[in-house]
Amino acid sequence: MPNEEIPENQAAHRFKKRGFSFESAIRYFFASNAGLTIVILTLIIVFLLKEGLGFFPGYRRELEVYRIAGLEFVDISRKNLTDHEQLTSVLNRAYYAEINGKCGRELLRSQEANALFNAYTDQTSSTRDLVLNNTQAGENKESKILAALGTNFAKQKAKALKSLPATPHLSDRERHDLIESIRIRSLESTEDPALVTALAEEFSNAQQKQAESLIGMRATIDAFDAAGAELSMLVSEMTEMVTATKEKIQDADILEKDRKTLLAAASSAKDAVEREKLTAEALASLADKPDVEGPIKKLLERRPQCSDAHRALQKSVEPLAAQLPESLSQPEASRLLSAARQTFPVFITNLEKTLPAIRDWNDKAPVELTAAIGSFLTGKDWVTGGEWQDFYGILPLAAGSLMISIVALVLAIPSGIGAAVYVNQFASNREQSLIKPVIEFIQAIPSVVLGFIGILVFGSVLRDLSTWDSLSWIPGFPIEERLNIFTAGCLLALMSIPTIFSLAEDALNNVPSAYAEASEALGASRVQTTFRVIIPAAFSGILAAVLLGFGRVIGETMVVLLVAGNRIKIPDFTSGLGSFLQPSHTLTGIIAQELGEVPLGSVHYRALFVVGILLFAVVLTINATAHRFVNKMKR
Amino acid sequence: MFNPENLILKGLPKGHIKDRVVRSLMAGLTYAIVLIAALLFGKIIVDGAPVLFKAQAPFVDFEFLTAKNETLHVFDDAQGTRHQLPASAYSDYIKKHEGTPIFNETTYSYSGGGIAGPIVGTILLTVGSMILALFFGVCAAIYLSEYAKQSPFIHAVRLAILNLAGIPSIVFGLFGFSVFVLAVPVITATPSDRSLLCVPLFINDYVMSFQGWNSSLMAGCATLACMILPVIITASEESLRAVPQGFRDASLALGATRWQTIRKCVIPFSLSGILTSSLLAITRVAGETAPIMFTAAVAAKDDLPWQGLKSPFDLLSSQVQALPYHIYTLAARIPSSEYTQRAQYGSVFVFLVIVAFLSLGSMILRSKLRSKLKW
Amino acid sequence: MDTAIEIKNLTFAYSGKQVLHDVTLDIPVRQVTAFIGPSGCGKSTLLRCFNRINDRIPNAKVTGGSIYVHGIDINRRDIDLQELRRRIGMVFQKYNPFPKSIYENVAFSLRLSGLTKRTQLDEIVENALQSAALWDEVKDRLHSSAFGLSGGQQQRLCIARAIANQPEILLMDEPCAALDPLATLKIEELIYELKKQYTIVIVTHNMAQATRCSDRTAFMYLGKLIEYGPTMQIFETPKEPQTEAYVTGTFG
Repeated sequence: MPNEEIPENQAAHRFKKRGFSFESAIRYFFASNAGLTIVILTLIIVFLLKEGLGFFPGYRRELEVYRIAGLEFVDISRKNLTDHEQLTSVLNRAYYAEINGKCGRELLRSQEANALFNAYTDQTSSTRDLVLNNTQAGENKESKILAALGTNFAKQKAKALKSLPATPHLSDRERHDLIESIRIRSLESTEDPALVTALAEEFSNAQQKQAESLIGMRATIDAFDAAGAELSMLVSEMTEMVTATKEKIQDADILEKDRKTLLAAASSAKDAVEREKLTAEALASLADKPDVEGPIKKLLERRPQCSDAHRALQKSVEPLAAQLPESLSQPEASRLLSAARQTFPVFITNLEKTLPAIRDWNDKAPVELTAAIGSFLTGKDWVTGGEWQDFYGILPLAAGSLMISIVALVLAIPSGIGAAVYVNQFASNREQSLIKPVIEFIQAIPSVVLGFIGILVFGSVLRDLSTWDSLSWIPGFPIEERLNIFTAGCLLALMSIPTIFSLAEDALNNVPSAYAEASEALGASRVQTTFRVIIPAAFSGILAAVLLGFGRVIGETMVVLLVAGNRIKIPDFTSGLGSFLQPSHTLTGIIAQELGEVPLGSVHYRALFVVGILLFAVVLTINATAHRFVNKMKR
Repeated sequence: MFNPENLILKGLPKGHIKDRVVRSLMAGLTYAIVLIAALLFGKIIVDGAPVLFKAQAPFVDFEFLTAKNETLHVFDDAQGTRHQLPASAYSDYIKKHEGTPIFNETTYSYSGGGIAGPIVGTILLTVGSMILALFFGVCAAIYLSEYAKQSPFIHAVRLAILNLAGIPSIVFGLFGFSVFVLAVPVITATPSDRSLLCVPLFINDYVMSFQGWNSSLMAGCATLACMILPVIITASEESLRAVPQGFRDASLALGATRWQTIRKCVIPFSLSGILTSSLLAITRVAGETAPIMFTAAVAAKDDLPWQGLKSPFDLLSSQVQALPYHIYTLAARIPSSEYTQRAQYGSVFVFLVIVAFLSLGSMILRSKLRSKLKW
Repeated sequence: MDTAIEIKNLTFAYSGKQVLHDVTLDIPVRQVTAFIGPSGCGKSTLLRCFNRINDRIPNAKVTGGSIYVHGIDINRRDIDLQELRRRIGMVFQKYNPFPKSIYENVAFSLRLSGLTKRTQLDEIVENALQSAALWDEVKDRLHSSAFGLSGGQQQRLCIARAIANQPEILLMDEPCAALDPLATLKIEELIYELKKQYTIVIVTHNMAQATRCSDRTAFMYLGKLIEYGPTMQIFETPKEPQTEAYVTGTFG
């Protein structure tokens, strides 16, 4: 209102004269605010698509370059080489596990002596450095300070000597001597105590002795290792060639893009002279079409050589499988050995299969857009920022997200629904007024705080638990990483319990009391009524609660970013349930982690938006299904 | 045939033990949740409270709350005493003791000083986004509850609200980044290269350039406001609808216009309900990290938000530290050690206390409201 | 004449507010007894005391007197509540079948007592539905939802559900309040049939209904039993002036 004194009805009248009433202006104002939600949703969709859709052509081009530059060809051989290296490493590990296991006593003795000495140095090194540094600082130092430092060190030393780790495999005599040698050790001495050196020697002697009986295995491993040398050399030569080609193509792509920008600027420039200038510039910068034919020809000249190398490798490796020892005495060693034995035939078949792939590989085969989409949706690698080739495969991320959700839901569904049923059906009023606020408060905890708790408290507790001998029957225990799928799942369960609880409680509350009354009048007990009447009646509402909980879990970012361990790899399912104890990365986490670091507009940047689109679609589908259940419940 | 004596129990009723077991199982699940929650809070309180409180008066360590965040320097002096100083105090110390060497120096990022910057940043973000969301949200709710009839438009609005409410916060982060940071229009004389579109305004050289607000307080507030909007709309509409229809009918019957009715007879009675539910929305806004990671938050900042400003606009277009992002940085980017625990547990404790107060406040207000407003 | 339910000096209170005052009456076996009276007179409360369904309501309890069902005091501590309710069926004012199939509704109480044999279940369900005069209408859609039935059918389903257990006594709390006149007529015919087998107590505030289908009538007012006797006598020659005022419609 411009003027307070005019009564409102008159003001309205004045508006009316202009054919526009004040009331309807207000109405439109409010309506426009309501419409804002539609605008925001549209903006979200439009901008996600705008940034995301460019990904597929961009990725297609990257895959095309991958092919025409010949990287793909090299990768065929490289894969076998990697397998070969892995197999070598497994064999080596088996070998050393056997030896170290056999001289376990010597190993332990040496380790214990070392640990004791290290514990001492860890505790005293800082004060020792102080003394040493000050001594070197010069003569003008007051001797008082030096004396003070010396006393400090002596005190520290005495204290350290009192708290040394146990050494069950050293005799009392040896331990005593070792401690004594540390006690009388001069401040400046940098040599290890005599016993430590002696034990190390004892250990290496034992190793040598044990190695004698395994000489055959050593020779086999060495032969296996050496067999890969030729292929390895070849691959590294080819790698050099194709990388150069790829760089040339990429440079040309950039030039071409700049030229297009210039042309676009030229067409929009008003000034004719300016336009002329820009066009000329664009024409001048016309990139020489990079020569890919030459290098690829050169590369393909190596094709027979490559096949030969494979054949040679296969030939020299094949007999080695039989030469491996049947079994080893140490459990760890024989586990590794049998793993190696299992991979051996697979490796050899792969080598055979590679030959036709090498023969048939064709740099001219077109890369379709569908290939890019397929490679995104079904790719097993998410490799970015590498020097060789970037891959954007969603599977490792989706697998992580899904496995974390499974853990979270397996924990949260029974406890959330159980608590809802208990509070709604059995709890007294006093219990309700305790439980409900606590659960409501859990809902209010910011996710980043839960993530923090996960890192500093829960993860460590889990790791300590997993080293207990009495729990070693659990698959995957003891865990390798304290931040893993299971840890993240537990915290997300805590996050989704309030969602599931409150929605399920609502659903139970909405069941008409007439049902319960009828059921009890028919002679059902409270528990019978709950399970036979109330829960079935609230079923679709409870299902909706679970779905919305799932939506919350899969869309959650901070907890998984902090706690899931962030390793981009499809979990190794061969370890059964233990695969839930491996670290993983997630759809949400990858966006949060990488968006801040990628150049705007790059393929990688766009890939993150596509992940966002995927999340958006998944969560909306889940929510829509949930709301359908809710509506069904309302009837 | 019916024997009345059967009505009398002989021993326990049938299925009694099964019932008991089922009930205890459910009670066990429920109290397990309560227990786990209590343990977690207990751990944070035990480790965090000593940072904020001390044994002597005034019992609260205000320095932690009011000092700015700095790098922590840990070193020994010549006497072997260990010092822990934040960066500014450290440089004073070095100046004062020029010439005397120090030893074993290590630095811990973000771990020194206090958390004034993150606290103020979070307050700014929360206040800014709540102002925006409350204004638009309440207006939209008024339309939905007071004016709306069944129409395709209303249907679309409701669908949009439902969908917005379900979008993961990280997607809001992507949205805020691509829209508010990179695309919204600004009026400037020197448009940036990445501007999507420049519309000349014919006033000097000024153009409206769609180049975004960069990562700034403005962009963060706008993103958070979009995220919380559906929550505010739903809660406000509920409060508005809780006002009995009779009030409106009576007012309209007395000859008041629709707007007068809304202003005098609906909004005053629903205001307390709207404010209560927005308190809960505040805890969500204050706690979100993903939407502000790319739109507003910065891990380290030399000045407190109000320092070094030339105009109020500078405040809006500068990045801020925020408590949740600070906690993320402390948890993810620096290794935990005895020197960083003060910062880590202290920040989490302070944050949790704030959140607890907000949600406790909303719980109390809600129960008061329920007993007060019974139409 | 045998007594099914014997009520002696019963008083009852909801959170301290007394709603039944010193009610004493005997309900005979295999007859229909009607409770009439204005709203809030306590007739439903009295009915709900018989199977102790009032236990569900917090702070509601019998404060004095006792109820004997076939000679057993049902407020004793060691009463088997589930068994009691199985012996005393109840039909509510608003028909309330469970959101299950017609068959499952009737079989509900049988399943509770652990009966799982299909043939036995089928037989009892058919009998119950036939007794409730519903069998012919639903025999082709036993496994479709109970909510597909009309109001009157749903109420008869509730009756079938209540008698599937073969109870002794059937309590009906204004069973026709939510039904149209035609459906009401059907229920009344059913009551007439059922009284051959069951003791029926019915609460109604439709006086015509009480005259049509009850043998004895109790008139209650403000929580007190004013008059109790054969229906004909209550309606034709009431002894109490309050009863007369009520049955002649000059009440209040």
